[in-house]
Amino acid sequence: MPQPPTAIAVEVIVTAPTDADSAAIAHLSATGGKALPKVAYLVKIRLKTMPEPTSQGWALYVKDFRIPKYWEAKDGIYFKVFDRQFFEDHKGERLRFSQNGTEFVDTKLRLAAPRRHGGGKLPRQEEVLK
Amino acid sequence: MVALKNPGLAGDVAFDTVIYASSGVNYAAVPALAQYTIYDTPDPAYITGRIDISAFAHLGSAPWPFANTNVPLNGHVCVPRGRGPFPLAVFAHGNHSPFQNSTPGYLYLCELLASHGIIAATIDVNFLNGANFGENDARAIVHLEHLKQFRAWNNLGAHPLHAKVELNRILIVGHSRGGEGVGHASFFNHLPAIQPTIFSPIVPLDGSAGLGPYRFGLTAVAAIAPTDRQYEPISGPTVVPDRYFLIHGSRDGDVSTFEGYNTYNRAHAVDLANPTVSDGKLKALLWVYGANHNQFNSAWPSETAPGFAMPRPDQEQIAKVHLGALAGALLLDRSDYMEVLRDHATAVEWVPAGTSFVSQYQDPERLFVQHNQESLAAPQISLPVQGSVVTSAVAAARQLKDLVNAGASQTTITLRLDWSSLGASYQLKVDPATLPAERYKVLSLRVGQSTEPKNPAGRGQDFTIEVSSGSRTAAIRASALHRLLYPDVVFGAGKIVMQTLRLPLRRLEEHGVDLTDLRSIAFRFDQRPAGVVYVGDVQVSH
Repeated sequence: MPQPPTAIAVEVIVTAPTDADSAAIAHLSATGGKALPKVAYLVKIRLKTMPEPTSQGWALYVKDFRIPKYWEAKDGIYFKVFDRQFFEDHKGERLRFSQNGTEFVDTKLRLAAPRRHGGGKLPRQEEVLK
Repeated sequence: MVALKNPGLAGDVAFDTVIYASSGVNYAAVPALAQYTIYDTPDPAYITGRIDISAFAHLGSAPWPFANTNVPLNGHVCVPRGRGPFPLAVFAHGNHSPFQNSTPGYLYLCELLASHGIIAATIDVNFLNGANFGENDARAIVHLEHLKQFRAWNNLGAHPLHAKVELNRILIVGHSRGGEGVGHASFFNHLPAIQPTIFSPIVPLDGSAGLGPYRFGLTAVAAIAPTDRQYEPISGPTVVPDRYFLIHGSRDGDVSTFEGYNTYNRAHAVDLANPTVSDGKLKALLWVYGANHNQFNSAWPSETAPGFAMPRPDQEQIAKVHLGALAGALLLDRSDYMEVLRDHATAVEWVPAGTSFVSQYQDPERLFVQHNQESLAAPQISLPVQGSVVTSAVAAARQLKDLVNAGASQTTITLRLDWSSLGASYQLKVDPATLPAERYKVLSLRVGQSTEPKNPAGRGQDFTIEVSSGSRTAAIRASALHRLLYPDVVFGAGKIVMQTLRLPLRRLEEHGVDLTDLRSIAFRFDQRPAGVVYVGDVQVSH
């Protein structure tokens, strides 16, 4: 099996949502029956080395939950969460990679809780992803 | 029949190659993206708009001079000269370094198709490349939006492509993640809207919010060494609704899992509630011994060490022959080329000597004698055909076997036959009143050997197919139809890729078998003293 990415740190950053994020937040608010705040949580996973951009790739899991999509960032990858409840539901669960959904590679990192936002203007995602 | 011409050779239609692109991108302002400056100066008649894919994807960390809300529609298109209308083929690459332009890598195929009278384009999806994952729905959307662009040009009175595009004859081809993407595109093509993930809002695909409408007449979908299920719709794994062709190399050093086989399995599978009802679509696959991943794209350096895979020109020639035959058969109505899909041996003179292949073909006109999908219980004849299974010194067991070691959970059942004595047999005894074989042209079965110890390494497996009606029996060696190759063991345990054996029913009649009274189809293991083979299905077919 090819080597998975080596993850060395995880952090959650509270950011201002993009327009597409806002649409997702509105959708989740409408379908979930609760008004979600207009924030996007970026879960950034720092990688020791960036993987070769091949087709095969590694799906990212929080324990058994597969993150549907993730994206390249400087020095790592990130995915977005719009409902803080996600962090409660998956609190402390391990981040894992898998290529086939049956064999997993544990990163030894656990999902961190988002830092409380101190108020004021939320950073734009382009800024935190630089 | 007139001898077929090699579909991998250029035709005699003159064509022009044009770059089309969105205006105002200015790649030249980003030195790291120097390979994309060709899209800064597209043909003036071929300026495109931008699309918003932000509901599907982010762009990664490459310094693209645009956002995911306004990605460009860039590509290269080879346009046959003449009035047309011409069929359309559109290629999409997969994941690779975003700093290398992957798009021109299929020009060798576009030029071939254009020389035979097909408008053929290769599209820019590079902005989705990088260390992203799960974005193959976005690749599908980009692919469909390019088709929409061609439809718009076709409908635009002053455009050079006005009335030149045959919108009901479209082939979409994707390589690697683009190969997964074309499967999703085939699925999305008829949707009015899609919710990409459980976290996403519903995205209209009816034109009301910029994307779509599509509803193209997709003639076929071709996947070159595709991934599978990196993106999965909320409704479950994508089932390709159009004709599906799959090509993959045994020495693929990227998608070494051959997971496209799972896509293939899901497409046009038997409907257990209506086993005689076909969705009217064919599927075919070609497994190429020695081909790797990157050499299907002429712009990508080989991912395998020198000498591990076949030479690049050989691999490109195989792609040209088989995709040329596919396009000829399905886009140009050169029905003789269907024989290449049905049986790769038809193309043996056109491909590099000594190359080994395994191929599968399922015709839309088929009646399963045994499809094995009822359950994991003992093998049985599949309804509506009636009969019984009789074994002699053969252990027959249905399994959810991951034949190609892709690692994913399986939903397709395969029959394992294991024998240890010469003359062992596995027999399907059928009620002839329930098997109207005379309405079909071939007896078709999929069989492959494994690397289990009973199969000597490197040696073809073989047995005799015996078909009987009353007192007349025809006995034909499987190897007379095709070699049952030993797996190319380079990654892990090797992959069991079953070969479709097509036995013409006419040949059985020549042996005195009465097709209106067909009573038995038997595998007699009289060629090797022991062995293990896997059987996908047994059909009568066209």
